[in-house]
Amino acid sequence: MSTEEQESQLELLQGTLDLLILQTLAFGPAHGHAIARIIQQRSDEVLQVGHGSLYPALQRLLKRGLIVADDGLSENNRKARFYRLTAKGRKRLTAETSKWERFASAIARMLSPVPDQNS
Amino acid sequence: MESWEERRKRLEDEMQQHIDLETQENIEAGMSRVEARQAAMRRFGSVSLAGDQSREAWGWLWPERLWQDVRYALRSFRKNAGFTSVALLSLMLGIGASIALFSVVYGVLIAPYPYARPNQIWAPAVVGPNDAVRGWHWYSQQELEEIQKLPAFSDVMATLPKPVLLTGGINPENFYGVFLTGGAFNFLGVKPLIGRTLQPFDIGAGSQPAPVVVLSYGFWQRFFSGDPHAIGRTITLDNVPRTVIGVMPPRFGWWTNEAFWLPLPRDLKDPSGLAVIVRLAPGVTQHAAEQELNQLNIRFAAERPQDYPKGRLRTIFLNYMDITAASGDMSASLHLLLAAVGLLLLIACVNVANLQLARTTGRAREIAMRIAIGAGRGRLVRQLLTESVLLSVAGGVLGVLFALGATRLIVALIPPDYVPNEARIAINGWVLLFSLGVSMFTGILFGLAPALRSSRPDLVGTLKDGRGGATGSLRGRSMRSWLVVAEISLSVMLLAGASLAVRGFIQILHVDPGFQPARVLRIDITLAPKRYPTWQQRNNLDRALLDSVMNLPGVQAADLGNGGLPYGGDRSTFSIPGEPPQDGRKVSIALVSRQYPQTLGIPLRQGREFTEAEIQSGMRVALINESAARLWPSGENPIGRTLQLDDLARPFNNPQVLPAPGIAAGVTVVGVIGDTRNDGLNEPPAPAVFLPYTLVAPPDRQLAVRTASDPLAMINAVRMKARDLDKDLALGKPNTLDEVMSEETQQPRFNMALFSAFAGLGLALAAIGIYSVISYNVSQRVQEIGVRMALGAKRGDVLKLILLMVTKVAALGLVIGLVGAVLLERLVQFQMFAKTSFGVIPLAAIVVVLAGVSLLAAWLPATRAGNLDPVTALRHEA
Repeated sequence: MSTEEQESQLELLQGTLDLLILQTLAFGPAHGHAIARIIQQRSDEVLQVGHGSLYPALQRLLKRGLIVADDGLSENNRKARFYRLTAKGRKRLTAETSKWERFASAIARMLSPVPDQNS
Repeated sequence: MESWEERRKRLEDEMQQHIDLETQENIEAGMSRVEARQAAMRRFGSVSLAGDQSREAWGWLWPERLWQDVRYALRSFRKNAGFTSVALLSLMLGIGASIALFSVVYGVLIAPYPYARPNQIWAPAVVGPNDAVRGWHWYSQQELEEIQKLPAFSDVMATLPKPVLLTGGINPENFYGVFLTGGAFNFLGVKPLIGRTLQPFDIGAGSQPAPVVVLSYGFWQRFFSGDPHAIGRTITLDNVPRTVIGVMPPRFGWWTNEAFWLPLPRDLKDPSGLAVIVRLAPGVTQHAAEQELNQLNIRFAAERPQDYPKGRLRTIFLNYMDITAASGDMSASLHLLLAAVGLLLLIACVNVANLQLARTTGRAREIAMRIAIGAGRGRLVRQLLTESVLLSVAGGVLGVLFALGATRLIVALIPPDYVPNEARIAINGWVLLFSLGVSMFTGILFGLAPALRSSRPDLVGTLKDGRGGATGSLRGRSMRSWLVVAEISLSVMLLAGASLAVRGFIQILHVDPGFQPARVLRIDITLAPKRYPTWQQRNNLDRALLDSVMNLPGVQAADLGNGGLPYGGDRSTFSIPGEPPQDGRKVSIALVSRQYPQTLGIPLRQGREFTEAEIQSGMRVALINESAARLWPSGENPIGRTLQLDDLARPFNNPQVLPAPGIAAGVTVVGVIGDTRNDGLNEPPAPAVFLPYTLVAPPDRQLAVRTASDPLAMINAVRMKARDLDKDLALGKPNTLDEVMSEETQQPRFNMALFSAFAGLGLALAAIGIYSVISYNVSQRVQEIGVRMALGAKRGDVLKLILLMVTKVAALGLVIGLVGAVLLERLVQFQMFAKTSFGVIPLAAIVVVLAGVSLLAAWLPATRAGNLDPVTALRHEA
């Protein structure tokens, strides 16, 4: 992987993977590979998810009852595990999203140049 | 609920599916099949790590994970059957021997008594200013009454063992009955098996206690066949019918485990010595109580100076746990054997640690691989520890089985009378707890080092190099060498200890006792005192008995008397007129008949033997042994001199013993006979004086008969003669002098047998360990050997290289072991075999054996390595 590539891609912040998975599933059930692909595509390939780390995260969410898993068929007609949000998961997504937005905007405000300072 | 296994499988499938989908997409994006798959795997990362972490999220897994580890361990044991069986064998022997010995130690030393709070029972001893404590003090009944009044004690009891004649059966039989004060059973705190124990009201206020008896379990089994209706029946003891009021459980053995307990008659004039034990009142310290009793003892000593040491008295309390049979020889032996078994266990641990280390080094590649694909370090340590603990627990289970047999063997080897009557040796809960502890401890001990070491390997080096890499294995090799050093030195110490025990035994076998014990029968004879109330009547009976026995065909010589058969007798203070005072020294007094020297085969050194007339009339003449002759200054002839024996003036402090009319302390020496080991084979001969048996007439006598052939064949003839004279004469259990002498060798034989067995096991374990490690080390270096041979090294050079390596290790181990053995010898000499020391020969033998084992262990793999074809050796891969 070249240096250039590394600069344009970002490692995920600790704990944000759970939020991204929940957000991905908000649009409907998906299997593991689909979740990984969606995260990548929707972030314009900026967010890099080590596909392997998806699975421990999914197991954590299952255990906390935020998602459930059903058996289904994948696009190439093979058996696959589809994950979907529970009501609890949906509520958590809303709470986490607004928390994240407040956090992100606070960081953005801190980092953006203050107009007053220039005059 | 789906099982863990199903769940794991599903997760794995899911991740596999993920990679397949990704590969598919990559192919569609235009990659080749191989490229596509590699890219997918790269993007996914470590499958096993993801799996591990996912399973971690399930949380509730540790039992399942443990099960997984256990199964993995079992699989790996099956794959290494050789390793597993050697490790299990080592553990079984090491742990088994420890358990067996601990069972004995527990039964004999830790919990020997069934009595309530035995560590709070104290026995007072009275000593003079410079005396060492030797046993406890014997008080009279009058003194006991005063001791009972002291406020320092919450409870006091006294014991008086006395011969008691049982009649009414087929043959009259003599027993040592145990007379007790009324509160004794409450003091000891033991409940009867059936019936009740003695109570204070059995003794009452009068001088005659109630005619009752409490039976021992052994007596009850023997005479009542364990019949529960024995309570209320009567037995006749010393011509008094006594009602059985209770039976004690088998483990209760206060002073006897085959006779009975009787209420002690309250008779303040009775001078018989009572064994007194006390419990302290709450809040009273041992020191304060000793002081309080000491005041009393000083007063007693003023009243009865002959029974107390001279000079300033000291009173010392002996804890009951520290006295009686369990202390002394057996306690010292067991402590040493415990140390020996500890060494054995250490050898077993080192062995297994060694094997484990060798194996984990061999598995370095597997482990490095597992770390490389994402296994956590903690996980690996846990895995290796699981293996070790599993192995040691299995070894522990085998060890318990081994111990069941070994304990029985040790119990069979324990000489009688060397452990308390009450001791019960068995594998019990404590012992099992101990063994579980030992096996877990060994498991962790030998598992931890290899686990820690192997979980920190140099990954790149190990993976690159098929054999484990030069850098990694150097450290492993030196650690293994140290373990071999440890094994060799531990074995040297064990073998040295065993050689001491063997020498101690041989030494005692070769002691010349000073007499000929072969073909001498010994039997105790007791007359009924009430039927022979005078000195003359008793001596007439004794003489008639001795005459008729001497006339039996096959009898070469016969002796009747007390003491000297072959050990001591009463010990009396003495003085020699015209010589300086003897400061409380004592001589042993034996009462003998004319043929005593012939019966035992003791040579006359000087002067003459007794004449029949001297014996008949009970003249005050004496034979002395050579040690007693040395009581006179050298150059002086003791023949014709006078010796004052204080005990003779007041015969043995016993009203049952009737003295000859006009008896006095002075006796005239007429002859000197050879020294005998009259104080035990391990002790130097004690000064002894032999007097005509007719001088005093006790109810009990001992008869000794030297026969022409088998002495035991003479028993019935002697019995018949006794019955012809008086059918109520009680004959004790006959034995031979050979039997008596062999008892002397039992303790040394016990030490020798166990020490040798432990040392043999230790040597075997060490040999296995040394062999497996050295041959492993050599096989690890096959590649190096190949390089050397390819560069021109000869077969001899290779042999030399390997033998040199082994010699260094073995020499270091031997030196450390010998230093340890010398330190051990000090300790052992201090504790047990007072006069034993290492010979050069046994030490040399030990060195040769261990060096031989090490070299043999090196020889086979070395020759194999030397015969290698260099090309094969170079190619050699795991």
